Parts: sequence; C-alpha cells; structure tokens
Amino acid sequence: MLKLTGISKGFTGVQALSSINFDVRAGEIHALIGENGAGKSTTIKIIAGAFKPDAGQVEFDGKEVHWSRPADAKAAGIHVVYQEFVLFPHLTVAENIFLGHERRGAFGLIDHARTRKDAAALLQKLGVDIDPDKLVSELTVADQQMVEISKALVHKVKLLILDEPTAVISGREADLLFARLSALKAQGVAIVYVSHRLEEIFQIADRVTVFKDGQHVITADIGGVKRNRLISYMVGRDLRDIFPAKRKAPPSDKIVLKAENISVNGRVRNAGIELRAGEITALSGMVGAGRTELAMGIFGGLPISSGSIMIDGERMDRMTPALAIKKGVGFVTEDRKRQGLAMQLDVAANISAADLSSVTSRGLIDRQRENGIARQEIDTYRIACRGPATPVATMSGGNQQKVVVARWARTGGKVLILDEPTRGVDVGAKTEIYRIMRGLADKGIAILMISSELPEVVGMADKVVVMREGLISGELEGAGITEETILSLATQHPTQEVK
Amino acid sequence: MSTLVSAGMARSIRKNQGVIIVFALLVALLVFGAVISDRFRTTNNVLNILEQSTGLALVSLGQTLTILTGGIDLSVGSTISLLSTLTSGLINGDASMIAPVIVGILLLGLVIGLINGLLIIWLKVHPLIVTLGTGTVLQGLVLLYSLGPAGKVPKGFTFLAYGKFLGIPLGAIFVVVIFALVGLFITYFRLGRYIYAVGDDDAGARLMGLPRAKVILTVYGFCGFCCALTAIYLTARFGVGQPYTGLNYTLTSITPVVVGGTLLSGGKGGVLGTLLGVYLISLLNNVLNFMDISTHYQLIAQGLIVIAAVSIYVEKRKRI
Repeated sequence: MLKLTGISKGFTGVQALSSINFDVRAGEIHALIGENGAGKSTTIKIIAGAFKPDAGQVEFDGKEVHWSRPADAKAAGIHVVYQEFVLFPHLTVAENIFLGHERRGAFGLIDHARTRKDAAALLQKLGVDIDPDKLVSELTVADQQMVEISKALVHKVKLLILDEPTAVISGREADLLFARLSALKAQGVAIVYVSHRLEEIFQIADRVTVFKDGQHVITADIGGVKRNRLISYMVGRDLRDIFPAKRKAPPSDKIVLKAENISVNGRVRNAGIELRAGEITALSGMVGAGRTELAMGIFGGLPISSGSIMIDGERMDRMTPALAIKKGVGFVTEDRKRQGLAMQLDVAANISAADLSSVTSRGLIDRQRENGIARQEIDTYRIACRGPATPVATMSGGNQQKVVVARWARTGGKVLILDEPTRGVDVGAKTEIYRIMRGLADKGIAILMISSELPEVVGMADKVVVMREGLISGELEGAGITEETILSLATQHPTQEVK
Repeated sequence: MSTLVSAGMARSIRKNQGVIIVFALLVALLVFGAVISDRFRTTNNVLNILEQSTGLALVSLGQTLTILTGGIDLSVGSTISLLSTLTSGLINGDASMIAPVIVGILLLGLVIGLINGLLIIWLKVHPLIVTLGTGTVLQGLVLLYSLGPAGKVPKGFTFLAYGKFLGIPLGAIFVVVIFALVGLFITYFRLGRYIYAVGDDDAGARLMGLPRAKVILTVYGFCGFCCALTAIYLTARFGVGQPYTGLNYTLTSITPVVVGGTLLSGGKGGVLGTLLGVYLISLLNNVLNFMDISTHYQLIAQGLIVIAAVSIYVEKRKRI
C-alpha cells in the first residue's frame, strides 16, 4: 500500500531521518516504535504530505507520489489522527466530521439534517454510540478520538495513521479502540500505529518497525520478536544504565507529608498517601485514574471535598498552591508550557522566579547576581543552553524541565511533586532528570512522581501507589515493584492477559 | 425561505444560551417599562426604540462576524465618521448625487474592510492592532477632509431614516432583513461554517486546509460594508455628517455582540443574539429615560449589563 525508500529529512542542524525504509501492506496493523526523537513524527508528516523529504521516494498504491500539501495525501486516502486532535470544540460532532466536506442540498446550502444522518451512520459503522448533535467539547477524550477516526471514514480511507492513540485514554477505552482498529483492518485498511507502549503492540500489531535516532533499526513480524529485544532496539542500551541506583539506606521513618481520605469532586475518592523523606514514591495508574487530580488536591490546585493533609506534622486546615509552596511543597506540572515556565523570559529569570528576594537589593533585581546563580544551576543540572540569557521557549523539553526543577530546588523545599516528568523528553535528558530526582531524594527530599511509563516507575520508585478509577488500588514496595504487579493493580485485568 | 429562517433560529437558540437569556431580559424590561409608565406602552414609543437601535444594529452586525472569527474591528468608529462626513460632503444638497454617492460609499466601506482583512492576513498581526492602526489613520483622513460638519443633504435623502412602510421605520425593517440574510449565510453556507471553525481553532482550521484567508476577507470586508450602511443611515438621520459621528460606535458595537452570547474569543455565538442585544440596550436606555434617569446613569447601566452577561456565559473550567 505504502512504501518509503531511502527517505532522508534534515532540519537546521539536525538530521531527523537518514535514509529510512518503511512499508505498510493493506489490511495490516504496522506498529512504528522508538524513543522520542527517533523520527516517528517526521515520518508520519512525510507520509501525510506535511513535510517534503530531502531524498528518497514515496510510493502509494503502486505509484510514486510527490505530495506537497496535506490535502494531496488526504485526497489519496491517507488520514492521520494526531495526538492533539484537530477538533473544533464549539461545533457539533456531525459538523466536525464533515468539516471541509459539508453535506449540501438545494442551492448548495448546508443540509443539517443530512449532515446529522450521515454522521450517525458513520459513527454506527464504527460501532460507537455518540450523539452527532453534541458539541465536541462535551465529549470524553475517548469519544473525541472516535470522532477523529470517523473523520477518516468520510473519504474512502486506505491508510490510517494513529499517533500515540492510547496516551490519552484509559485501559478499557483502549480495548474498545483496538476492537475498532481490528474491524477496519478486516476491511482492508492499512494502519500505522505509533506508540511506545510495548504491551499494546503485542496485542494488536502484525508487524513492528523500530526507529532509533532517525535510522531504521529493524522490521519484524510481531510473532518473531521478544519484548526485551524490542526495548534494547529502541533504547540501544541496557535499562540498567538509564536509571540511577535506588535508595541504599533503609526507609526513614520521617513522614513529611501525609494525606488521608482525600476526595476531589468525582475524580478521586477517599485516597490516602504518605511521603517519606528521602524516598521516591511513584503514583501510577492509567491516564484518567485520578492521579493528577489527587496530587493537585494535595497541592491545593484543586478543591478537595473531604480529607486532611499534614505537612511535617502540621495539620493544614485549607490548602492553596501559595500555602503549599510556603510549606515547601513544589509541583512540576505535566504541561510545562502552560503552567510552569514563563516561556518568553530567559533561563536566569525563570530560575529566580520563585525566590526573587535572593536576587533583589534595595527593591531592584540585581541582574548580575541573578545570572551568577543561573550559571551555577546550569552547571549543577547540566542544562543545555547558550547561557543565562537563553529564552526558555527556544530550549528542548528536557532542559525546560530541568529549569523548573532548579527553580523549585532553590526554594529549600521538602516535597516535590512531578507530573509525568519525562513526557516528551529524549532518552539522554531522561537519564539526567532521573539522576537529578535521585540526587534531591538523597538530600532528604520526599518526591512524588506521577508517571504513565511503567519502566520508569519500576526503575525509579522506592514505593509505588497505584490508582484505578479514583481509588487507591494498592501499594507496592521494594522487590514487589514489577510492571506486571503495577498493571494488574491499575487495570484489574489478570496479569496473564498481558503478554 | 421562512422555513430556513425558523430552522436556523431554532438552531442558534439551541447552540447559544445567550439568545434565551437576552430574550428573557428583554421581556422583563418590557413588562417593567409598561408597569412604570403609560407613555412607554404607546406604539410611538416602540417605533422610537426601533429607530434608535438601527445605527447600532448595523455596525454590530459586522462586528459580530469579526468577533466570531476570534478577531475584532476597532476601526468601525472612524470608518463611520469618514463615510458619514463624505456622504453629506459629496452630496452637498444635490439630489442627483444621492444614488451615485450611496453606491460609492458602500464600495468604499467594503474596500476599507478588505484592506483591514488583507493587512491581517499579510502581516499576521492580531486584528486588534491592525484595526487600531487603520482606525487612527482613517480618523486622521476625515479630519483632513473636514474639521466640522461637511455639506448638507436634501430632504429626499432623510427619507432613508424617517421613511415608513406600513407605519414601521424603513431602517428597522432593513435591519431585520439583513440580520436574517446574514443569519442564513452563517448557518447554511460553507463559508459561514468556516467562520465558526476559524474562530474556534485557528491553527486547526489551517491544518485542515480550510480557506482561512477567504474567511478573514469576508468578515472584515462585510464589517466595512456595515460601517457604510451605518454611516449612510446616521447621515440621513442627523441631516449632516461630521468627523466624530462614529466615535462612540467603536466600543459600543462590541457590547450587543457579547451581551448576545457571542464569545469574544470566537467560535460560538451568532447574529440573533446580537440583534436581541441591540434591542436590549436601546430598550434599557428608553426605560431609564422614562424613569427620568440621566444619560450618565444609562452608561453605567450598560456597562454593568455587559459585565453581568459575560460572567454568565463564561465557560466553567472543566479540568485543571
């Protein structure tokens, strides 16, 4: 169906793809995996016509093609469901599905009744029960994803590309998605499935291709590879080298933060958690299980409807982020662009932001002192940038992450909560972030890490608290922490279902 | 046609809670006015309200579309001033000039709007800044042309403002017709749908290859055209145009739009809400007049209504 031969693509200074080969057959699900920065996204964009390759050729349906616009690929029958949906929240489901291809009646006017009817038929064909008259903003994320996929069916889709589709939905919803994809496959649609969750790849893919650093590593039938081999293909090194050694000392008794019976408006029910000094606690579970909500509730970022919070033995009557920060609790959000960093400001200003008094003299900010401190932190955390005056917006995700951590560490905090600290960060930067986290813990700081990546949880956590549907479903410690035990607590699926 | 209009109206009511709220406020004010004053209940007064609302209605119609795309047009005030002054200045009492000047002014309004649109597309600068700039330029131009009222208009021209059909002011009828036409356009034409899409998610619209430039040109061009209509109407009403005729319209043209439930960030709303919003504001001023409350308080009441309305429509943050 699709064949890429010798495709290369470079951006200013970076070779994103070096002469890669990739092919997809009709009626197969082909998994494309690799670490962040491996070239998956670039490949998708080339297939979708959003990028032009520097070299190599693209064949689709047996013909060589030269797409210059996404519309060309779309017309040929290629549909991409990006991780960030292209949906219009204030338009209805039906209007979204046919946007750009409106159903029209007499005099070329939009036929609302037919739009609705055709949308309902498409959704039914996909086997989902969504009201076509609802606004997209009223749907769950999983339903929004189904609307995205149904957009593909407006045209005769020949090749469907999904970019990390399960990053945003829960386990049960993922099973539904897989059933839908299998049905499309049976109709002869070729599917490219980009993911880095190995479990699901073994569940649904027919073949798998691994990219690493812009190069093609291997393509194999899914039956012919072992999970561990794939990991080492992706990572190119042993997992042991990525994670720093775990806590050596026995657990300290000092409980820095204790939350009991926390409920957050429908998302979290009666959850409790204890954080000990010097320990890294992971909060695990599927996306949507209520992990972020629990942590936000503890931090005061979301109102809690019940429960009590003790910090350092002091009972907190109410919680606001300002109060939490004052008590030494830091929160590094998942969406750094929106909630953590002043993107237009430079590294120095971001590092000193939470602790301006240390760089202020006679009411004025001392830029020299600020830069000096920044230089020091840039060294400590190995932040890759051109110096203290580098605008944060121009830096990579991993280095932005380090700036946030450096800022928080300067405030002399006791508890640090990190929500998906390595999302969107390449392997090298991940290793750095892990090292920094462990370093902070060794200094006696209690760390709470929310993570969806199981290897990361297993590699980093001294203790794991697992959530499922708003409830704490279990706690694991020491040798009891394995991907299987976490998964079974997170999904309630018997472990043997997970190959 | 009428079925399309009623279906379209049903649709906009379903998709915009503002329509219902403003309608309820309108009814409440009507009842209140009828209770406090006998003279309020007269046909004459109702016609008076319709007449007073015409100028605001025309400019707010154009403003609704720019706001639906997530933009705004801050040049409407000076555009109206310029076109109004030109209208009476060019006609200058000569009845034979009425027709050509009207056509010319409408075209000029369209061109001014299109220039706004082109600048927004080419410079990729926020419409707020672009139209703030063009508006200032236009104000300068009108002052170069005339420092005070310019020319005069013949009796026949004032018919546009004071003429009646079946006892109803022509302007009021024209307003309802043009609002209905634009309502149909944004509900039943693809380009109308894309106005909403661009306002809802500009980047998404670009990704999907929707004709974004066409949408921008259409709404700003139309907004300029609406300014021309307003200018012609106001000139007919006052009998002369002067360089500050439109001054107040820049910000007051936004009021009925947001009161009518259109999101200032775009993507949601419509013209029915705006029309009701216009009537609400005119009615409010009228009722306060009957209560012998000065115009200063009318401004205060208007301001409070805007803030109250928008605070009702504000979408609750769903997730952190």
